[in-house]
Amino acid sequence: MKPLTVNFRSKAALTLADAQIQQSIEHVYTGFFKGRLTAAGETPDWENLRTKGKAIKDHTIANLDYYLGLLTDNVEKNGGSVFFADDAEEARQHILDLAHKLKIKTVIKSKSMVSEEMGLAEAMTDEGFETVETDLGEYIIQLANETPYHLIAPAVHKSRADVARLLDDDYKDGDRVPDATELTMMAREKLRGVFERADMSVTGVNFAVAESGSIALVTNEGNGRMSTTVPRVHVAVMGMEKIVPSIQDLSTMLRILIRSATGQRISTYVTMVNGKRKPDEEEGPEEFHLVIMNNGRQKLLEDPQLRESLNCIRCGACLNACPVYRKVGGHAYGWVYPGPIGAIVTPVLTGLKDADNLPSASSLCGACHDACPVKINIPRMLLELRYRTAEGSTDKVERTSSAKERGIWKAWRMGMMGRKRFDIGSRIASIALKPLSRNGWLKKAPPPLSGWTSTRDFPVIAASSLKSRLKKRSGDLK
Amino acid sequence: MADRAKFIAGVTAGLGRTEVLSPTSITETAGFEDAATAKANAVKASIDALERSKDLADQMAEEAAKAGWKVHRASNSEDAVNYVARICIEKKATSVLRSNHDAIDQIGVEAAITNAGATLETTEHHGENSQAQIEKSKSKAFSADIGITGVDYAIAETGTVVLHPRSGLSRLVSLAPPTHIAVLRPGEVLDSLDELFAMERNDFMSGELAGSMNLISGPSKTADIEGTTVTGIHGPLEVHLVILADE
Amino acid sequence: MLENTTVIQRPDRVTLFASCMVDQLAPNVGENTVEVLEYLGVSVDFLNDQTCCGQPAFNSGFRSEAHPVAERFIDLFEKVKGPIVVPSGSCAAMVRNYYGDLFRNDKELAGRAKRVGDRLFELTEFLSHFFGTDAIAGKSDGYATYHKCCHLLREIGVDEQPIEMLVNIEGLEFSPLERADVCCGFGGAFSVKMPDISSAILDEKLDFIEANGSSTVVAADTGCVYQMQGGLRRRGSDVQVVHIAQVLAESIRNRSTSEPKR
Repeated sequence: MKPLTVNFRSKAALTLADAQIQQSIEHVYTGFFKGRLTAAGETPDWENLRTKGKAIKDHTIANLDYYLGLLTDNVEKNGGSVFFADDAEEARQHILDLAHKLKIKTVIKSKSMVSEEMGLAEAMTDEGFETVETDLGEYIIQLANETPYHLIAPAVHKSRADVARLLDDDYKDGDRVPDATELTMMAREKLRGVFERADMSVTGVNFAVAESGSIALVTNEGNGRMSTTVPRVHVAVMGMEKIVPSIQDLSTMLRILIRSATGQRISTYVTMVNGKRKPDEEEGPEEFHLVIMNNGRQKLLEDPQLRESLNCIRCGACLNACPVYRKVGGHAYGWVYPGPIGAIVTPVLTGLKDADNLPSASSLCGACHDACPVKINIPRMLLELRYRTAEGSTDKVERTSSAKERGIWKAWRMGMMGRKRFDIGSRIASIALKPLSRNGWLKKAPPPLSGWTSTRDFPVIAASSLKSRLKKRSGDLK
Repeated sequence: MADRAKFIAGVTAGLGRTEVLSPTSITETAGFEDAATAKANAVKASIDALERSKDLADQMAEEAAKAGWKVHRASNSEDAVNYVARICIEKKATSVLRSNHDAIDQIGVEAAITNAGATLETTEHHGENSQAQIEKSKSKAFSADIGITGVDYAIAETGTVVLHPRSGLSRLVSLAPPTHIAVLRPGEVLDSLDELFAMERNDFMSGELAGSMNLISGPSKTADIEGTTVTGIHGPLEVHLVILADE
Repeated sequence: MLENTTVIQRPDRVTLFASCMVDQLAPNVGENTVEVLEYLGVSVDFLNDQTCCGQPAFNSGFRSEAHPVAERFIDLFEKVKGPIVVPSGSCAAMVRNYYGDLFRNDKELAGRAKRVGDRLFELTEFLSHFFGTDAIAGKSDGYATYHKCCHLLREIGVDEQPIEMLVNIEGLEFSPLERADVCCGFGGAFSVKMPDISSAILDEKLDFIEANGSSTVVAADTGCVYQMQGGLRRRGSDVQVVHIAQVLAESIRNRSTSEPKR
């Protein structure tokens, strides 16, 4: 998928002005966010589970080379094949080649963000394969020719009327808008035949178990089960970080993933498959292919300041918690991963220079850190990326700050390095702003404060500092 | 294409090392217990399931209902059979598929289902699993009205039915028909996911890990349209859990 | 979340770190802080040379500009003994939680910063930890609600304590704010750099404030106070947003007796 991160501000502005989308995204708070809080509150050892989840991921990432080897050995032992892709293009091409070679006609896709990185569905359709997204949200997005809005709720921004326009050929504006059940049943009807005739599936991987070569899929709809059952070829795609060492780790990871994603204690379906159909099984794929993709994750791995982002299990909790995501929506981020975790992963995977607004678009409120089931300290990493865009700290090419901006902060520093200068600077500002103010507030301030006063009044700097007011108290102490 | 060695060498370099090292503190974080410990854990979970079978069945009934199962606690086999027959009549079922779980044989549903006007079939291939045979089974499953299974385990904590597909237990019997009925016997209920994965780990360590496993907690559902939960998107619209009495 | 182990006794003398915003924009909050502390028998020292902890530049990514300012802060405040109190969760978070990152290439400096950070408390954290949330049970009137400033809540770990303090004020009618723990959209430079997003977040906050109906919104960080007050003024609302130090100090003044309660 081609990154459009450079359009963050204009895309965000469009969403801010769209009342329908603003109303639709509200669900991520009232539904998912609140659901997670309730589920966590009802889980007595919740904090221990988070700690354990973080420990499992820390350990796995710190030994990722070992576990990649172990996983590969075991997938092969189970009769599957493993393909290593350095980037999205290699992965996409491999899957296309496979589909051609196996004379595939119909491909069913289960939700997978990694496949979005590859732009897989589009590419497969272009090459003549009937390619159908089977997660209802993804299906809607595919019909709308859009990209997912959210990690677990791809069509969260769509209204029922939007969906009706896409699903119901007879629907015209002005008609009664079908309810969610009617729309869902229309989709069921349309997709049922596709499932039956599909000869290849592409699914994501929620967790790949290194010791057994198993993959675990978490779904509510059942499309994950269909995908691992009906077609004769199953291709699972994963980012190279999506491993857990042992079968028992699933117990912890499934608990924290599902609670954090939807607030459920368990999803309707959890499917664990150990490669292709076993000889005594009645159905299941004849071939199992696992595609393990790097696509820039190496850069996160190599970077001690950002490595923790590889612990992400893609639950979407940070999006639901984020006040910025809930206003600018998923498309503003311009690539596969939106929201707080996207503001770290996307710039690194697609280039920080064009994506420099992503880490800046945060009030650093920390709600994402609080919500993360594996305790990823997202604000810390946002600050790290801001350091890079402001000063080019790791690579001069990444510096996108303007000379003016740098000048302001230099002047700020000089002002802060001596109390006299600090006071004089403030007094000058106070005097300069005074004539523009009424009752101690400014309606319109000159730059750089003009941004503030575009929507809010700004307080006038006090006529005297605290220091001068406290003058009668003790001075410098030794 | 990146070959395995090159790909993994890149990761090793990314970790700041020159060779792949076996993790040291493995047991601290990951559940890599040895075979004896895995076995002991599994035995403990099984004994627990038997000793607390009454409590766990009660909890299962409660949690399953929350998860969206229509729960029926059968007073005896006859009651269970009648319940199944009622569903067949209600659904105007003509085709019912079953797994080969003992629980179904134990209550003996065949006569009642036939009387209700439906055919009862197994999906068993009897050793023959050619592609043609598989295709035939598939279309049978997609056109069946009801699927009946037992359970391999259940999980009280979450109201979950666990199935390990194998000969006699199709992956589709609990998925493709619009109605699924699961018949549960006391003693089959584990406490939580921890116990389930302890059992799985032991199976793995003793080389008996099943080809796949499905955890089923209620009917298929989605909330992808305006956050409204709707049941029955791809899988069953309705799921029934018949809990047999301790006899 | 109080990780401080070096100060265990109830202190009778502290040093005030005003924070640059309180110092220059809201000196009354500084005075109120002093009033509250003195009421509890704590004498307050003020270092005349203080300016800023460096957070604004650090949060904007300009670490090389933040570094000398933060180092200056350490130089200054390590000279005094005993607790340091700051009426800002955000500045407290900078010193306690982020100096380690800022000074990560200078172990010695990071160590000094840690020792200063161990003695530094946000005001409501200090009050509730050493004196209890009922220590300043003054008098007031009117209707108030409370917004939980993000850094105080999530970085410092002060959650319900300020609310308890407000509830303990006689005559003040407290009513909890819906989504009190959701950000107001301030975020320092973010509010200037991306005003449209910042204001959209603020708007949601202000809707909840207006729906709450209280005439006063209490918060514990000056930046958030101005964000909300600036937005409410622009809406033409009469709701006042005040720093908790102001409310506490006023409640003390309204009390008939000047004796500390305990």
